[in-house]
Amino acid sequence: MELFFRKSMIAVTGLFLCLFLIVHLSANCILLLPEEVARGLYNSYSTTLRENPLIKIVAYALYLSILLHVVYALLVSLRNKKAKPTKYAVNRSSENSTWASQNMGLLGAFILLFIVVHLANFWARIKLGMGDVVGTDALGNVDVYAVTSSLFHNIYYVIFYSFLMIPLGFHLHHGLKSAFKTLGFYHKAGLRLVAKIALIYAVIMSVGFGIIPLIVYFK
Amino acid sequence: MKVAFRIWRQDNPNEKGGFKEYQVDNLNADMSFLEALDHLNELLVLRNEKVVAFEYDCREGICGQCGVFINGRAHGPHDNVTTCQLHMRSFQDGETIVIEPWRAKSFPVIKDLIVDRSAFDRIIEQGGYISAKTGTAPEANAIPIGKEISDRAMDAAACIGCGACVATCKNSSAALFTSAKINHLNLLPQGQPEAYRRVIEMTAQMAKEGFGHCTFTGACEVECPEGISITNIAEMNARYFKAKIFS
Amino acid sequence: MKLDTKIPQGKLEEKWRNYQVKSKLINPANKKKLNVIVVGSGLSGAGAAATLAELGYDVQCFCYQDSARRAHSVAAQGGINAAKNYQHDGDSVWRMFYDTLKGGDFRSREANTYRLAELSAPLIDHFTQQGVPFAREYGGVLVNRSFGGVQVQRTFYARGQTGKQLLLAAYSQLSKMIRAKKVSMFPRKEMLDLVVIDGKAKGIIVRDLVSGDIQRYAADTVVLATGGYSRVFRLSTMAIGCNGSAIWKAHKKGAFFAAPSFTQIHPTALPQSSEAQSKLTLMSESLRNDGRIWVPLKKGDSRKANEIPEEERDYYLERRYPSFGNLAPRDIASRAAKERIDAGYGVGRLKNAVYLDFKHAIKQFGLETIKDRYGNLFTMYQKITGVDAYTKPMQISPAAHFSMGGLWVDYELMTTIPGLYAIGECNFSDHGANRLGANSLLQASVDGYFILPNTINNYLASEIKETTVDTDHPAFFEVEKEVKEYIQQILSIDGNKTVDHFHRELGKVMWQECAMSRNKTGLEKAITQINKIKESFWSDVKVTGHSLELNTELEKALRLADFIELGLLMCTDALEREESCGAHFREEYQTADGEAVRLDDQYAYVSAWEYSNGDFKLHKEELEFEFVKPTVRSYK
Repeated sequence: MELFFRKSMIAVTGLFLCLFLIVHLSANCILLLPEEVARGLYNSYSTTLRENPLIKIVAYALYLSILLHVVYALLVSLRNKKAKPTKYAVNRSSENSTWASQNMGLLGAFILLFIVVHLANFWARIKLGMGDVVGTDALGNVDVYAVTSSLFHNIYYVIFYSFLMIPLGFHLHHGLKSAFKTLGFYHKAGLRLVAKIALIYAVIMSVGFGIIPLIVYFK
Repeated sequence: MKVAFRIWRQDNPNEKGGFKEYQVDNLNADMSFLEALDHLNELLVLRNEKVVAFEYDCREGICGQCGVFINGRAHGPHDNVTTCQLHMRSFQDGETIVIEPWRAKSFPVIKDLIVDRSAFDRIIEQGGYISAKTGTAPEANAIPIGKEISDRAMDAAACIGCGACVATCKNSSAALFTSAKINHLNLLPQGQPEAYRRVIEMTAQMAKEGFGHCTFTGACEVECPEGISITNIAEMNARYFKAKIFS
Repeated sequence: MKLDTKIPQGKLEEKWRNYQVKSKLINPANKKKLNVIVVGSGLSGAGAAATLAELGYDVQCFCYQDSARRAHSVAAQGGINAAKNYQHDGDSVWRMFYDTLKGGDFRSREANTYRLAELSAPLIDHFTQQGVPFAREYGGVLVNRSFGGVQVQRTFYARGQTGKQLLLAAYSQLSKMIRAKKVSMFPRKEMLDLVVIDGKAKGIIVRDLVSGDIQRYAADTVVLATGGYSRVFRLSTMAIGCNGSAIWKAHKKGAFFAAPSFTQIHPTALPQSSEAQSKLTLMSESLRNDGRIWVPLKKGDSRKANEIPEEERDYYLERRYPSFGNLAPRDIASRAAKERIDAGYGVGRLKNAVYLDFKHAIKQFGLETIKDRYGNLFTMYQKITGVDAYTKPMQISPAAHFSMGGLWVDYELMTTIPGLYAIGECNFSDHGANRLGANSLLQASVDGYFILPNTINNYLASEIKETTVDTDHPAFFEVEKEVKEYIQQILSIDGNKTVDHFHRELGKVMWQECAMSRNKTGLEKAITQINKIKESFWSDVKVTGHSLELNTELEKALRLADFIELGLLMCTDALEREESCGAHFREEYQTADGEAVRLDDQYAYVSAWEYSNGDFKLHKEELEFEFVKPTVRSYK
C-alpha cells in the first residue's frame, strides 16, 4: 500500500504544482511590459488574487501540496536509502540514466530553498507585513510591482532567482514524466508524447522564470 | 591480455568485507568474463588461497543466476546483457576491473560476490502463478488470444530473475521484476480470475521484503538482459489502482 | 536378474489406459502421510513436485541452484512437440510415435514412446492454462513450426525461449504449492548420496551449499529429476552446474544405468576459442535452413573466409548427402564436421570449426529477409564472438548436448531400486539412441506432470502400511558418515593440480574417443587414460577452503569425481555395443560410403549396467518390436 500511496501523493501534488507554475509564469509575463502598463496591471492582478475567495482555497491547496510533496518525498527517500544501505564503490549511473532522475531529492532541496526565500521576499512582506512597509499604487492597490522591481534590481537576488531555475527545469522534466507513469499511464506512444511535452514544458518554465529577473534587472 | 581484478571479498554475511586486488595475465580477448574469473580461481587454488565465490549456471544468458556489478554497471559495461555473455574484449589490456556484489538490503551478501535473491522467489509465491491443477486444462485453442496480447505477455514473461534491476536501482526497487510477472499473467485470459488478488498480494510482498520505491530513473530497463520495458511498472501501477478500486 | 519392464498388456493405444485402470489408488487422507523427495527442480522435477503436492502428498524438493527457476530446462530454445494436428497436415499420435522411435534408431521401447506421443497433446493444454505465452496467429490460435527429422508441423514454441517459458510455468506452479505449504523447497542443497533401507529408497543425504552442513532427509520414496550429464565432456551445451552425481550415487547403490554412452552431439554450437573455455553455446539448428556449411578444399588454408574463392570451397554436406544437404540429421552433420576437422580442414584460430555461410542466402533472399528470419541469432553470435555474420561466415562446431542415456526405468519410471524413480533427462526411456529436436522438453514434462503422478501411487499404496522411516534410522547415520569422510578425503589430498585441470583432461579423452565416432582401439585407450586420470585425481587434486562453508571448488571436485567414474562406464558401454545406431557410431560398423550399420539381430536391446565393486555388469533388456518394423535410416 505505502509503496503506491506515497509515490502517488508526490505525483498528484507535483502535477498540481506544475499547473500552478503555468498560471504563475503567465502572470509574471506582465513584468516584461513597459513599466507604466505593467505596474497597474500587475498590482490589480495580485489584489484580485488576494481577495478572491476561490483563489484563497486554491492557495491553501497550494501550500498543502508543497508540504505533502516535501513530506512524502522525504518518506520515500528515507525508505529508498534504507533499501540500499551499502553504496557501490564505483557506480557509473550516468551510463544508464539521467543525472536528474538520480538526484531528484537534491534538485528538490534547491527548489525548497528557493521557495523559502521566495516566500520570505513576497508572501511574508505583503501578507504578513514583515520587513519594510509596502506602499500602494495610484489605484490604491498594494504595490507588489515595486517589491518585485526593487528585488530584481538587486544583483544577488537576480542571480539567486535565475540560477535556481536550472534545478527547477531538471526537476520538472523528470518529475512530469515520472508522475504519469506513477499514476499508471502506460500507453507507449502516449508516454513518448508525455516525454516530449515534459521537455518543452520544463524548458519554458525554467527559461521563462529564469529570464524575467534578468530582463527586469537590465530594463 | 593482462588485467587487475579488484574484487569484493567477504567470507560470510556477518563479516565486514573489503576489496582485494589480483593481477591476472595470460588472458585472451575471446574469453568470457566469467572464464577469466575461473582462471583467477585456478591461480588462487595453486597459491593455496580460497577461491572467489561467484555465481553462474547456464553461461548462455538465460538462467539468470550470474550477475555482479562490474566497473560501476550491473552485468558490466554493455546494455541488456548478462555477466556470462560479457567478454574480455570489452576491456582494455592492463585495465583495473572493479567487481562488487549486487547491493540491496533485500539481497544480503552470502559470500564474496554471491547474494541471496530469495526475496524474488517469495514475491512469486504470493501470486506469480495461475491456480489451476494439473489435469484440469481445457483444450489449448479453446480460448483464442490475440497476437498483440500474446506478444505483450511474452515481452513481460521474458524476465530471467537475475536481479540486475534491483542492483542498479538507486532505491533497490523490485518494481520491474514484480511488474513483469504481474503483467505477463494479468494480460492473459487464463490469469484473469486472480488478476486483482495477484497484483495486490505480490506488491504487498515486494514491500514487505524491503525493496525501495520506483522513481523511474530508467536504469533498470537499460541493465535488464531481456530489455524489459519500464512501462511495465506503469502498467502494474494502473493494475494496482484498478484492483484497489474494484476488488 | 531379469529386467521387468512392467509394460501393460493390450494394444499400443490401450496400454496406458489399461495401466491406469489397474494401478492402485491411495485415499486423500493417506496421501498426506506419504512423503516424497524430489531432487531437481527443472521441468520434470518442478512439474512432478507441484503435481504430487496437488494430489496431496507431502513433498520436499531440492535443487543446487539459488532458485528453482534456474534449472537447465530454461535453456531449450526450439520448442516442444505435440500431436495436436492443428495444422491439418496429417499428424497423429501414431505418426509422432513412429517419428520418435525411428529418430531414436529403434533403440527404445514401443510402449514408452507411444505414451510420450499420446500425452503430448494434453501437455500443450496444460501449459497454455498455466500461462505460457506460446506463439499465436493474429486470429488467436496457436502456431506450429516444423523441426528436424519430421515432415509435419507439430512444434509449439515461445519465441526462442520455449524451455524458459515452460520452466517458469513449472516454477510458478511449484511456487503456488510452496505457498500452500504442500512443498518444502530447499534451494542450494545438493544431493550427495542415496539412503537405501531394506532394499528400498528411503531418503537422501545432502550438502547445504551455503553452510556446508551435511544433512539427512527421509521419505517414503525418492524421485530423481537431475537432468543430463553431458558435462562429462566438460565442454558442452549444459549449464556448468549440471552433473551426474545424484544418478551416479544411485547407480552405485544398485540402480542400473542404461545406455550411458548414448550422447547427442549438436552440430551447430559455437566453437571452443580457448583452453579456458567453460561452455559451448548452442546456435539454433534452424540456421541450417539457409546457411551453407563448408571448409576450404586446401588443408590448413590460412586465408580469411571471404578470400577463398567458390571453387576452393568444399560444401561437404551437400557433396556427401545430395538430397538432404545442409539439413542432414544432427548426428550425421556432427560426424561429417568432425571428419573434416580431424582431417586438418578445420577453420578458426584453433582449427576446430567449420563455416556456416549466409552469403548465398543473402544474395538470394535479400539481407532484410535473413535479418527477419535469424536476426536474434545473428545478434547473439555477435555478442559472443564480436563478429558480424552478415558479412563474414559464422564458425560453428559440434558440441556435446543431450544424454539419451540415464538410469534404467521401467514403464512406471521406477529404477531397479524399489521406491527410487528417475524422470526427465536423467533416465533412459523414450529417445533411444538419438533424440528428435523438440522432444526433450516434452519428455521431461510428460514424465513429471502426467506419468509419475499416475504411477507413484502404485508403489506408495503398499508403503502406507510400512512404518515411516525417519532420519534417526542407523542407515542414515551410516551414509552420512561415509559422505563426510569422502569429503574429508578429497580435501585432504592437497595436491598440486586444480579440479578444472582434471576436468579438461577427462573432457579431452571423452570428446576424442567417446563422442561422435568411436572405435575399439580408441575406447580401450580411453578407459586406460580415464583410469589414469582417476588415479591422478585422487592423489594430486587440490581443493582449498574447508567443508563447512560455501566452497565452490569442493562442489566442483565432488561432481568431477563422479564424472570420472561415469566416463569409464560410458566408454565401457560404447565398447560393448558393436554396431552403429543413432548417436552411437562405431567406425568399424559402417558401409563403404560411411553410413551407420545397425545390427538388429544382435543389439536390439537396452544395455543396463549394474555396478558391482568398481566393475560394471551388463544386463540386457531385449527390445521387442510388436507394432512396427525397424527400418534403416537413410538421408542420402
